[in-house]
Amino acid sequence: MNLKKTIKLKTLLSALLVSFLTLTLLGVITHVTDVHLTLGDQLLDLNRDKTQSANAVTSVVTYFRGLDTLGEVTILFLSIFGIGIGINRSDQMHTILHYDNPLLKIGAKVLFPVIILFGAYIILHGHLSPGGGFQGGVVIASAFLLMFLAEGDAYDLDHRIMTLFESLSGAGFVLVGLLGAALGGLFLSNPLPLGTLGRLFSGGILPVIYLFVGLKVASEITLLIEYFIRTRDARDA
Amino acid sequence: MIGLVILGTFLMLIVVAYMAVSDLYLSGSVVYFMALGLGSTVLYFIFSAPDVALTEAVIGAGVSGVVFLVSLLQTQTREDEQ
Repeated sequence: MNLKKTIKLKTLLSALLVSFLTLTLLGVITHVTDVHLTLGDQLLDLNRDKTQSANAVTSVVTYFRGLDTLGEVTILFLSIFGIGIGINRSDQMHTILHYDNPLLKIGAKVLFPVIILFGAYIILHGHLSPGGGFQGGVVIASAFLLMFLAEGDAYDLDHRIMTLFESLSGAGFVLVGLLGAALGGLFLSNPLPLGTLGRLFSGGILPVIYLFVGLKVASEITLLIEYFIRTRDARDA
Repeated sequence: MIGLVILGTFLMLIVVAYMAVSDLYLSGSVVYFMALGLGSTVLYFIFSAPDVALTEAVIGAGVSGVVFLVSLLQTQTREDEQ
């Protein structure tokens, strides 16, 4: 009797929470429109002559602290590598979280290119608007997650292409840094023209670095999800 | 007005965190954890950190919840076998 009462209370509370958060998010999005103006005006003034990037966070992440980002990407690569070694793999893999639902299948097929496009937009506009390589890469990986949930075992991921993207983008990041060292004197310095603030082709090497980071994060998180969501065919055997 | 919204979100986050710890089922805890990520997204957005809000929306309310849920399912399968 007591147990039943608590469960009902929890259901009520969670319904209240979800409606509250949804209304709040809608209200915030419609009312707060000057997010760009309040986001560290002083930092924007500081980095304007250095990078010509509209997003100060991006210039901190990829230019002022570019070496730290290289370290972060390396740590991510090593952790995915360790998971790939630790997971016991075989030829017959079984998708553990899969709903055989035609509505979900059609919806996933429709939404998949849209989510990929949104992730590519976030990556390419990382120096202009909020977001960047990490966020856009995870958005792209969530599109693959949706396909895993909808299609299950039928969705075949080409590991060769994924590994190729992962290694090429990691090598590209280091190559951009070495190019800066060869032309500008320091590792990850900016040899490219800065352009004008607010244009897509501006900011020198910032969009190039974020493109490589985005490709790397997307392929790595997709491989991570695939390692976790597929297991050996143990339950049916 | 915005202060009331911040206060309400904080209170809701405390309630959700308590429910995530005290839920009977571990899968329910994971769902409350994802709701915690959603509430954190709202707070980050209000406090003018849209980059962090975007990261939290995708990772905290999406990918990490799925990873937790799948780990839970895999360990339960192993226990049933024995």
